[in-house]
Amino acid sequence: MAMRELPKTDVVIVGGGWTGLTAAYELAHAGQRCVILERGQPRHTATSFAGPEEHDELKYALRYGHMQDVKKETLTFRNSRDQQALPMRRLGSFLPGSGLGGAGIHWNGQIWRPLPSDLEMRSHYDARYGSQFIPEDLTVQDWGVTYDELEPHLDFFERICGAAGSAGNLNGETRPGGNPFEGARTSDYPNPPMKQPISNTLFGQAAERLGYNPFPMPSANVTAAYENPYGAQLHPCTYCGYCERFGCGYFAKADPIICVYDRIKDHENFEIRFGAQALRVEKSRDGKTATGVVYQDEDGVEVFQPADTVCLNAYALWNVHLMLVSGLGQPYDPETRQGTVGRNYSYQTIAAVDAFFDDEIVTNPFMGAGALGMVVDDFNGDNFDHSELGFVGGGYIACKQYHGRPISYQPVPDGTPKWGAEWKRVLRETYSRHGDLVIHGSSMSTPENYLDLDPTWTDAFGRPLLRMTFNFPENDRKMSDYVMNRALDIAREMDHVTSVSSVNLAREGADYSIVPYQTTHNVGGAVIGTDPTTSVVNRYGQMWDHHNVFVFGACLFPQNLGYNPTGPLMGLAYWTLDHMKRDYLKNPGPLMDA
Amino acid sequence: MPKVSPPMILGATLVAIGAYAMSLNAQDRSEQPAIAALEANLNDERALFNAQVESDIDDDLLETGRLVAMGGSQAGGSGMACITCHGAEGQGDGSGAFPRLAGLPGWYMYKQLVDYASGERPNNVMSGVAQRLTEHEMEAVSAYYAAIDAPYRPVAGTVDAELLQWGGQLGAVGSAEKGIPACVNCHGPSGLGNPPSVPYLAGQYATYMTHQLQLWREGVRNNDAMNVMSSIASKMTDEDMRAVSEYYARVRPDVARMRTDATATD
Repeated sequence: MAMRELPKTDVVIVGGGWTGLTAAYELAHAGQRCVILERGQPRHTATSFAGPEEHDELKYALRYGHMQDVKKETLTFRNSRDQQALPMRRLGSFLPGSGLGGAGIHWNGQIWRPLPSDLEMRSHYDARYGSQFIPEDLTVQDWGVTYDELEPHLDFFERICGAAGSAGNLNGETRPGGNPFEGARTSDYPNPPMKQPISNTLFGQAAERLGYNPFPMPSANVTAAYENPYGAQLHPCTYCGYCERFGCGYFAKADPIICVYDRIKDHENFEIRFGAQALRVEKSRDGKTATGVVYQDEDGVEVFQPADTVCLNAYALWNVHLMLVSGLGQPYDPETRQGTVGRNYSYQTIAAVDAFFDDEIVTNPFMGAGALGMVVDDFNGDNFDHSELGFVGGGYIACKQYHGRPISYQPVPDGTPKWGAEWKRVLRETYSRHGDLVIHGSSMSTPENYLDLDPTWTDAFGRPLLRMTFNFPENDRKMSDYVMNRALDIAREMDHVTSVSSVNLAREGADYSIVPYQTTHNVGGAVIGTDPTTSVVNRYGQMWDHHNVFVFGACLFPQNLGYNPTGPLMGLAYWTLDHMKRDYLKNPGPLMDA
Repeated sequence: MPKVSPPMILGATLVAIGAYAMSLNAQDRSEQPAIAALEANLNDERALFNAQVESDIDDDLLETGRLVAMGGSQAGGSGMACITCHGAEGQGDGSGAFPRLAGLPGWYMYKQLVDYASGERPNNVMSGVAQRLTEHEMEAVSAYYAAIDAPYRPVAGTVDAELLQWGGQLGAVGSAEKGIPACVNCHGPSGLGNPPSVPYLAGQYATYMTHQLQLWREGVRNNDAMNVMSSIASKMTDEDMRAVSEYYARVRPDVARMRTDATATD
C-alpha cells in the first residue's frame, strides 16, 4: 500500500495530453475537482519549442528528445505466440511522447473524421457483401457509437484546433474541392485549406485525370489567425517543415498546451502534478469500483490519490498496461479467446511511393508542414467495391510535403548506390525533385494480435512490462498492396515524372518489424462496444466492470481506421465527457446494462 | 557570437555621433561602395544567397542598383534618391526614422518595394518612390543594398536595463503567459534574419521597429506571406514592443562587426 494518502478528489486523470487535459477542462467547468497525474515535466509551446533550437533534427527527430524514456518504461515484442518476446530498448516503429501535452506536441496535425461505415464496420460489410464476407480470422466489430452521434464532437474538436480544410459534404450536400466520401458535416472547417506546393498539385491533377477525387488534407496546421472556443489564440503556419517529432513554437500547430492547458491551468478545480508516474489503480473491496490511483511522485515516494472517478488518459498502450497491472477488467487469453483487456490490438499499414521529377520541377521540400498534402480517399474504408478483392478496409493516398530536413530527407530513385560520391551526386539532383506519396491504411484486429503482461521483464517500478504480440493479417497485406498499386498508377500519371519506386511495410511474406519507424498509431486493447464479452468499455467509454473508470484514447478503437487517430479519438473523448457531465456525475452508476 | 553593445561604449560614443553625423553628407557620392567591393562581399555564399532576387547578380545589375539608389531611373528619377534617407551604404540616416537596409535580404526588400508600389504596404513617402521604379530597377536596388556590408551606427540613447532584459527574453523565448512566440523562431538566432523572406532585427533601429510593430498591430501593415506578424503584434503591449525593439537595436551579428563599429565611430 502506498506510503502516503492524500485527501480525496472528485476526479483523478492519468496523463496530461490531448484527452487528459480536455477531460480536466470539461469536468472542472462542470464543478468537479480534477487532479492530473503527468509522468513527464512541464513545458510550454512559447518557451520550450521555439526555433532555431527546436529545429535540431538530430536531437528531436533522431534522438527522440520529446519521446518517452524507455529506460523507465517500455514494452516487449514478438510476432507470434511461439516466440520469446524481447524488450524494446530503443523506440522504433512508433514514438509515444512524455511531458505536458504528451504525443499531442509532436504530431503532424492531420485531423480526420472516421467514415460513417467505419464505425459500423461489421454490420456494414455484412449488409453490403453478406455475412460470410469478412475473413474468419478477423475480429472486426462495430464501435457501438455512430457517426451521427459523434459528429458534434468531431466538429467541436476541429474548432478547438482551428482545423484547415475544405468540406466535401456539408449537411448532406456534396461540395467541390472536398472529400466527397466523408460523412455529412454540420459546419465547414473553421479555416481555409493550406496552400499546396507543386508536387502535391501535380498529384491532384493526375488523380483528377484518373477519375479520382483529390482534396487538401484536413490540417491542424492553422492557416489564419484564429481564436478557439476555449479562447486560445493560434497563429498562421509558416510552413517551416518541423511538425512531426517537434513542438511548434509558432503557435501554428494546434497542441494541447496552447489549445487547452493555458485555458484551464488557473481554474480553481484544476491541478496537475508533474513527475507523477501512475503505478496502479486501486479497487474497492468488492472490486466493483476504483478508489483512486497510486503514483510515484518526483521524490520517489508512493502516493495514493483517492477519487470518486478515475479517468485513464495515458497513451493507448499504457492505458492497457495500467489496467492489466491493476487487475481492471478481464485480461484477454488468446488460448480460450476469453477476456477483453488486451484484445483487438491493431496497428496501421504504411506504404510509400516516390515519384521523381524532371529538371523543370523544383519542389523546395523544406517548405512543408505536417498536414500539407493532397489526398485521394477513393480507396479508403468501403468507398470502393470490395466484392472481388478478397479483403476488407482501405487507406488514403496522399502526396505530402511535410519536411526537407537534412538528415532524414534523402530521396533517391531505385538503383542509386546507398552511399558514396555517386549517391551524393544523385541526391543533390533529386532532393528538390521528389514527390512523396504515402498510403495510410487500415489494420484489422485478429485473435492472435493482442497485449498482455510479459512473464519475464519488468519496468523501473517493478511492474511486468507490457507484451505486444503482433503481425499484419493477410487481409491487411492484400489491402495495402492493392491501394499501393493505385498510388503507383497516380504517380505514373503525374506530369514531369521520370521514375517511380515504392515500398510496402506491410508487404506479403515479410513479418511486421517494430524497428523502422512507421507510425505512432497503436490502437485497441481496451475497445469500445455494446457487448461486455468483446469490449472493455461500453459505448460511453465507461468500463463494464468498474463503472467509475472512464477510458480515453485510441485504445478504444476495435480495429484501426485508414485515418490518423487524433480526430476520431478526440470525438470519442468529447462524446464520453458529454455523457459523464449529462448523466453520470448526477447519478454515478453503469450508463448501460451489461 | 552575437553580442549586445555594452553601455560603456554607448556612453563613450555619444560625442562621436555628432562628429560622424557632421562628416556624413547623405548625398556624398564618395561614400558609395565600389562595385568591386560589393562583388567581394558576394564571394561569401551566404551574402550571394541573400542578395539574389530573380536573376543572377552581375556588374550591370549592381551598377543599375547603385544608380537607382542615387536617384536615377528610366522614368526619369525616382523622385527622391534612396541615399537621401537610407544613405549610400544603407545605414539609415541615424535618426531611426528610416531603417537600415545594408545586408537586408534582397528578396525581402524587393517585395517591400512591390508592396509599397501597389499599396499593400501603405507609406506616403515610399509608395511614390516605388511607383516610379520598374520591376528591374526594384530588383537591382534591392540586390545593391543586400550586397553591402556597412558598419553600424552607434545606438543612441540609454534604456532601462530591465526593459532590455524583458526585450531579450521576448526575443529569445517569447512569453507563455501572453502567448507570444519568440522572435528567433522566424528571425533567426539572435535576430540575424532568415533570408530570403525574413529581415534581420539585430542592428535595426528601435524607433523604426517599434513603429512597424504598431502598424502590424493596427493592421495598417499586413504584407507578410502568412499574416503572422499581425497575430503576434496584437498580443504585445507598447512596452513589449519598445523592449524588444530596443533590445535588438543593440544586438550585433559578431565581434568582428563590433570592431568595425568601433572604428567607424573613431
